[in-house]
Amino acid sequence: MLLQTAPADTTSYMLIGFALIFGTIGLYVLSLYVRSRNLKKDLAVLAEVEPRREGG
Amino acid sequence: MDATPRGLKILTWITVGLFALASYAVLVYAPREAVMGDVQRVFYFHVAAGWVGALAFLVAVIVGIAYLITKQRRWDTVGLASIEIGVVFTLINIVTGSVWARPIWNTWWTWDPRLVTATVMELVYVAYLMLRQGIDDPDRRARFGAVYAIIGFLSVPLTFLSIRIFRTIHPVVIGSNDPGAEGTFDMTAKMFQAFMFSLVTFTFIYATLLWHRIRLQHLADRVEQEKVRLLAG
Repeated sequence: MLLQTAPADTTSYMLIGFALIFGTIGLYVLSLYVRSRNLKKDLAVLAEVEPRREGG
Repeated sequence: MDATPRGLKILTWITVGLFALASYAVLVYAPREAVMGDVQRVFYFHVAAGWVGALAFLVAVIVGIAYLITKQRRWDTVGLASIEIGVVFTLINIVTGSVWARPIWNTWWTWDPRLVTATVMELVYVAYLMLRQGIDDPDRRARFGAVYAIIGFLSVPLTFLSIRIFRTIHPVVIGSNDPGAEGTFDMTAKMFQAFMFSLVTFTFIYATLLWHRIRLQHLADRVEQEKVRLLAG
């Protein structure tokens, strides 16, 4: 960086960095949503199974 | 699961708004750093993500102690949720550090004390998540989780202090740098404001995600209980 007169052109690295930040947080939020949806489906299936068992 | 509480909805929208504002602050409001250029903007969220990781692991220690004293499973739920979020944000911290290092240090990775201790810390907590899965008895799992969270936390101050006690090229944001540090810069007033705002925003993100993750765990526990009840009946 000796004799440098202007900032280094590092915009592409900045874009990669922010893509990783937004992407990782987005993926984690998505994983929370998908896990929640799957568990709700499981609960619905379990609720369906119970009356059938009771009915014999 | 019960409908989303009003408080959680409000917190979520506040967090989304803060995140949008923080993104504006670091991408537009803060000036471009004179030597490093735009990549320096990654620093704001890099440090904030590291802060969330440390905070999440500290919360796991506090609730771990609370579990060991009270034996109430809700503390274990909070501990698990907190560590999961901590692992995600520590990963962001490590990866963004690597992206910043490529143009500044001319390498993606170097065996610097800070990088090594941060990675060891991440692996310690990834191991926590994996090892938990291998324990079937919920009480044993919770006891293990509490003790592990307390002992594993030793890696957090070690990571924080590594750039202050070892010879390193990693810059120190607060306090004096090692003379060999590469990528140091002086924060202007606008940079400092963007930095502090990022820290506050990421703390809100942590609180919001924690609440959502705890609710998810309650749902998972309910499904598990229903399964056991059906099998027993």
